[in-house]
Amino acid sequence: MKVNADLRLKDVPGQLVFALEPISTNDGNIVGVVHHRDVVIGGHITVNVTFEVRSDRMLQRILDTWKERDIDVARMGSLYETFPIECLLVGDISSQELNNIMEEIEAMEDMESVDVRYSVSAASDGKAAIVFGKVRKKEAVERVERLLEERAADGGFLLVRGLGD
Amino acid sequence: MDLVIVGFGVVGQGVAEVIQQKREFLHDAFRKKTRIVGVFDSSSYETNKTGLDPSALIKRKASKNKVGKRRYDGDAWRILGALEYDTLIEVTPTNIVSGEPGFTNIATALKSGKNVITSNKGPLALRFRELSDAARKNNVQLRFEATVGGAMPIINLSRELLRGEKILSIRGILNGTCNFILDRMMEEGLPFAQALREAQDMGIAEKDPSYDIDGDDSACKVAILANAIFGLDKKYSDVKKTGIRGVTEDAISLAEEEKKVIRLIGEISPKRLEVAPRLVRIGHPLSIGGTRNIVQIHTDLAGEITVAGKGAGKYETASAILSDLVALLNENKKSRVIRR
Ligand SMILES: NC(=O)c1ccc[n+]([C@@H]2O[C@H](COP(=O)([O-])OP(=O)(O)OC[C@H]3O[C@@H](n4cnc5c(N)ncnc54)[C@H](OP(=O)(O)O)[C@@H]3O)[C@@H](O)[C@H]2O)c1
Repeated sequence: MKVNADLRLKDVPGQLVFALEPISTNDGNIVGVVHHRDVVIGGHITVNVTFEVRSDRMLQRILDTWKERDIDVARMGSLYETFPIECLLVGDISSQELNNIMEEIEAMEDMESVDVRYSVSAASDGKAAIVFGKVRKKEAVERVERLLEERAADGGFLLVRGLGD
Repeated sequence: MDLVIVGFGVVGQGVAEVIQQKREFLHDAFRKKTRIVGVFDSSSYETNKTGLDPSALIKRKASKNKVGKRRYDGDAWRILGALEYDTLIEVTPTNIVSGEPGFTNIATALKSGKNVITSNKGPLALRFRELSDAARKNNVQLRFEATVGGAMPIINLSRELLRGEKILSIRGILNGTCNFILDRMMEEGLPFAQALREAQDMGIAEKDPSYDIDGDDSACKVAILANAIFGLDKKYSDVKKTGIRGVTEDAISLAEEEKKVIRLIGEISPKRLEVAPRLVRIGHPLSIGGTRNIVQIHTDLAGEITVAGKGAGKYETASAILSDLVALLNENKKSRVIRR
């Protein structure tokens, strides 16, 4: 997902690197930085940064690090309208199989972010995994669901799709 | 209006009781007597042109397990042809393989120019078009509010009150048994088998629960809504269906961590004719627990309309049948006024 944020940094050397570093350490991709050096308010300057990040979880880690480092996020927004995908797979699904499915989804067009969480059950056929994320087009939700429907039918899993609202 | 009731179990008896209870209202509102002139169970029947006493019928059924003194072979349609009446109330058991005995009973009545009110899903989920064509050809009405959602008004609401709207999609919880089981699994952390057993002990699920938990009942209702509201020609087998047997405790708790519940949802939209377990956000109207049914109708002008109600039960189902009866009486009254 593409994120745009205004960060308020102390006007001292090294602060910009200090602020941008959490993005790269969390697999983010910095797309652009606009540095407003001339406007200093209360010893702080504003930096506008645009970056891509793979999932909500990664974004959260970046935000957490900024908080730890006392970097103030003055404004933040996603650059596109996104649609949620949320599907539960239930049954004896191997992690290898799930990885393959996730790779297929990640490679699809219009994916903003995608992630998976597993249950921790003893009974193998009771296991569940939830695939969640965001896509940039409504049709992409259908594409993901269709893929999961096919994989669920092939593997004999139960697919529980989200309602979409 | 003279009525014949075929089927005298939970619903048939409920209807007889309600007709007795609402006798004055029906007379005052429509200036016409509403009488039961014939009644059938699987092996006996009784007729009387001047009207049968509902409480005597119920008493007789309770004491003798037969509603009438006269015996027959269970083919009520053979006898129906010789009776004088206005409206058939067909409330025999739902059969989703042949649709019988409901289909032949309903078809016979329509062809001989009688209105029909039914709670029997089988004939409508299998051969809707044939029956609705027969009703149109014979200039009579086939009404079936009670087939979907018990007391929850959905068919008449969509077909009559929302008639000017374009209905874009309908989705909802159409089976109280499944909803009860899914709800108990989440609330108490019960495994599926145990929640099912609890539902059976409480009389919410049948001894053989497959018709409910495999999604057949909901699929019948989806087919009926698709035909009645969207003008499609669908059978129950055209509905893609997944039941709730595969829903595990892990699935429920993983959903809960995401602030979701799992609900068996029926959906009729241009893209889908489906019954399947779905993830529903906690707090969303379709996340309700318990045995109630709930449906959201999505229209072009009104947006989302949500209706909920008790999906089954003696009086709840009789209430839906009464709403159909009142609609027929209303229609009759209007045509009487026009004729005058
Ligand atoms: N119960 C509900 O809450 C509910 C809700 C919505 C819709 N429905 C539908 O309403 C219908 C009736 O349900 P119910 O609960 O009343 O069922 P029920 O209690 O089993 O009663 C069925 C009745 O039909 C009679 N019957 C069976 N075969 C017959 C035949 N060949 N000819 C004439 N009568 C026959 C039975 O006779 P005997 O008494 O001699 O066995 C019994 O009186 C079903 O189609 C059901 O799906 C029920």
